[in-house]
Amino acid sequence: MDKTQILENLAHAAIEGDEDLARESAEQALSNQIDPLEAVEQGLSKGMAVVGARFESGEAFLPELLMAAGAFDAAMEILQPEIEAQKKEITKLGTVLIGTVKGDVHSIGKNVVATVLGTSGFDVVDIGVDNATLDIIQEAKKAKADVIALSSLMTTTMPAQREVIEVLEEMSLRDKFLVMVGGGPVNQEWADEIGADGYGKSAVQAAEVARRLLGREG
Amino acid sequence: MPDFLDFMERATTGQILAENDYYLKVLIPNVTKVVREFGIRYDPANPVSSDDELADRLFEAAVEFVTRTGIYCGATNRVIEVGRDELLQAVENLPDGSTFGEGRDRRRFRARRPGDERPPWCHVGTGIVASSEEIATAQVEGYGGIPQASSISIPAFGRVRGMHVVGGSPLEIYATIGSVQAGRRALGRAGRPGLPILNLISSATTSMATIAGTHPDFGLRPSDGWLIDFLAEMKVDFETLNRLAFVHVTGGNVGSTALPILGGYAGGAEGTALVMTAYYLLGILLFRGAYHLTGPVHFRHGCSTTRDGLWVMSVAGRAASHNTRYPAIGLAYAAAGPCTKEYFYEAAAANLCCVASGYAGVQTVHPAKAVIEDGVTPLEALFNVEMAYAAAGVSSERASELVNRFLQKYEDIIGEAPKGKRYQECYDLRTGKPSEEYVRLHEEIKEELTQMGVSFRF
Ligand code: B12
Repeated sequence: MDKTQILENLAHAAIEGDEDLARESAEQALSNQIDPLEAVEQGLSKGMAVVGARFESGEAFLPELLMAAGAFDAAMEILQPEIEAQKKEITKLGTVLIGTVKGDVHSIGKNVVATVLGTSGFDVVDIGVDNATLDIIQEAKKAKADVIALSSLMTTTMPAQREVIEVLEEMSLRDKFLVMVGGGPVNQEWADEIGADGYGKSAVQAAEVARRLLGREG
Repeated sequence: MPDFLDFMERATTGQILAENDYYLKVLIPNVTKVVREFGIRYDPANPVSSDDELADRLFEAAVEFVTRTGIYCGATNRVIEVGRDELLQAVENLPDGSTFGEGRDRRRFRARRPGDERPPWCHVGTGIVASSEEIATAQVEGYGGIPQASSISIPAFGRVRGMHVVGGSPLEIYATIGSVQAGRRALGRAGRPGLPILNLISSATTSMATIAGTHPDFGLRPSDGWLIDFLAEMKVDFETLNRLAFVHVTGGNVGSTALPILGGYAGGAEGTALVMTAYYLLGILLFRGAYHLTGPVHFRHGCSTTRDGLWVMSVAGRAASHNTRYPAIGLAYAAAGPCTKEYFYEAAAANLCCVASGYAGVQTVHPAKAVIEDGVTPLEALFNVEMAYAAAGVSSERASELVNRFLQKYEDIIGEAPKGKRYQECYDLRTGKPSEEYVRLHEEIKEELTQMGVSFRF
C-alpha cells in the first residue's frame, strides 16, 4: 500500500470512528517508514477536521465526535511512542483543565467542550462534575494547566465560578492560570463581572476563545 | 416483578464498566443498530408524525434497546440489567392513571390518545429561578388564577437574605423549604390551596434538600409529585436513587423525568426518539412512576421547538400513548422569552404537537430555555392553557400542517431568538397584572393564530 493510501485510511478511520482501521493504518504507517508526525498531521488530523466541521454545521452529532476521538486515540497509542522515540513533538496548543463546578452534576455540555478542545489540539484534563473549588485549583496545578475551564448549568452553581477566581486570587495564583467560563445560564456579562478571562457560548467558541487566550490564533 | 431493592442489588452486582466505555461501546452502538433494525426514520416534512406503524415500531425498538443496553449506575460504575419480560409485565400492570391534589383540586390524571377530544392535563408554570420571594409569590398566584390549571410548578429561590443560594449548602435547605411554603401560601391566596405541586422542589439540587422540602410540617404532601430525573443518557446515580428510595418508602407520586439531548449521546432525531421512548419504560419499571415528564432538548439551541425536536416529541409521545397507560406530560423549552412574538409561535407549535400526539398533559413551554432569573410570567402559562385546549381534538395531520406554518415564523432565527422580558419588566409588581404592551401582544397573536386556523375555546 502506498503512502497516500495509508494517510487517507487514517483520515477515513477518524471520519468513520473506526478504531480497528485506525490501529491497522497506524501500524502500516510505521512499517512503511512513514514519519509518524506526518501520519498524525496529514492523516488523522485531516479526518478530525472533517468531523469537526460537520459537527459545527450540525450534520454530525456527539456520537460521531466521540467515535472519531476514540479512533484518534487508538491510532495515537501506536504512533505516540514512535514520535517520542524520534524526539519529535506534536505541537500542542496548551493544556486545559476542565470541570463542572461544585454542586452541579450537568456533564454533557462540559463533555462536548472537552472533546472539541481535545480534537482541536489542546491537551485536555477532564476532572468531571461536582468539583470543589480547592480541588479544581489543586488539579490545575498538578496538570500544569494553562487554562481552567469551568462549566456551570445552574444559577445556583454559577457563584462557584466566581469562587474559583476569588480563591485563585487569595492564593496568589490568579496570574498562573487563564480562566474560561461557560454553561447554559452563563454569559459574557457574568464572565466580566467575576473577572474571568473568557467566555464561550458553544464548544466551538470555547476552542476559539482558548486559542485566543493563549495567543494561538489562526 | 423486581422491586426497587432488586434493582439496587443489580446496581451493585452488574457488569462493571467505565462510564465512557458504557457510552462508546454499549449505548452508542446499540442506538445505531436498533434504529437501523427497526427502520426508524426522521421525517422533516411532518414535524408532527401521524404514522401509527412507526409509533408501534418505535415502542418495540425501545423495549429491545433497553433490554440490550440496561441503564448505567454512575455511583457504582455498573450496568443495571433490565429484562424484556419484566418490562412488558410492568407496562401491563400499570394502573389507569394517578390521583393528585386535595379538595376541589383533587383530580385523576389519565393517559390520552392521539387526536383525543378531551383536553389535556394542564401543568402550569416553570421550575425556573426567582430572584426574590416577592416575585415567586406573584408568579404562583398568577398561575393559581388560571381555572384550567390542573397542577403547578413552583419557582426556585435564587437568594436567601440576599445571599446567592448554592446547591448542597444550608442556604439550599432554607430556599427549598421556603419555596414550597411560599408556593402554598400563594395558592391559598389564589383560592386553590389544594392544587398539586408537581415539580418536586425546583430549588432542591440535592437529594438532601428534596428530603428537607418534604417534611410534613413544611413541605410537599403525598398528593403532590416528586420529579426524579434520569441523567442524560441512560444513567442514574445515588442522588437519583436516594430520592426514589425516600419517596417509595414514605409514599408519594414519583414523576419519572427524562430530557434527552438531541444531538447528544443518542445522536440525531431517530436515536433521541429511541432513548426518549426507552425512558418511559424505565420510568414505569425502575422508578414505578405515577407519571412521566419528558421532552427533548436540542444540544445546540437548548430548546425543544426545532423541527427535529418537535418530531422527536411527537413520535415518542405517540409510541407511548399507543402502547401504555402511563400518563405523560410533554415539556418543551422555547428559545425565545416572555413578551416576544417568537415565544408565542414556539409555544403554539409545542402544544399542538404534544396534544395531537396523545400526551396526557402539557407543561407551560419554558421561556428562553428557562435559564434567566425571573424570566417567566403567568401570561405564558395562560396562553399555553388556551393553546392546549384549542389543540384537543385536532388530528396529527392537521397539527403538522399548522406547526409547519408556525415553524416558518421562527425556525430560521432560533439561534438568535430574543430573550424577552423579566417578570418585573412586563408585569406590575403591585397589582400582579401584565403590562398593556404584553396584553396587546397576546391579543394580537391569538388573532393571528385564529386566522391561521387555530380554534381557541376561550
Ligand atoms: C439535561 C439536563 C439535566 C440532566 C443532566 C444530565 C447530564 N448528564 O448532564 C439532569 C436530569 C441530571 C439534570 C438535573 C438537574 N437539573 Co437540569 N437540565 C438539563 C437541561 C434540560 C439541558 C442541559 C444540557 O445538557 N444541555 C445541552 C448541552 C450541550 O448544553 P450546555 O450544557 O449549555 O453546554 C453548551 C454551552 O453552554 C457550552 N458550555 C458548557 N460548558 C462550558 C464550559 C466552558 C468553559 C465554555 C467556554 C463553554 C461551555 O458549550 C456546550 C456545548 O455547545 C437544562 C435545560 C436547558 N435548556 O439547558 C436543565 C437545567 C440546567 N437543569 C435545571 C435543574 C433545576 C436541575 C436539577 C436541580 C433538577 C432537580 N431538582 O433535580 C438537577 C440538578 C442536579 C445537580 N445537582 O446538578 C435547571 C437549572 C435552573 C437554574 N437554577 O439555573 C435547568 C435550566 C432546567 C430548568 N430551569 O427547568 N438536568
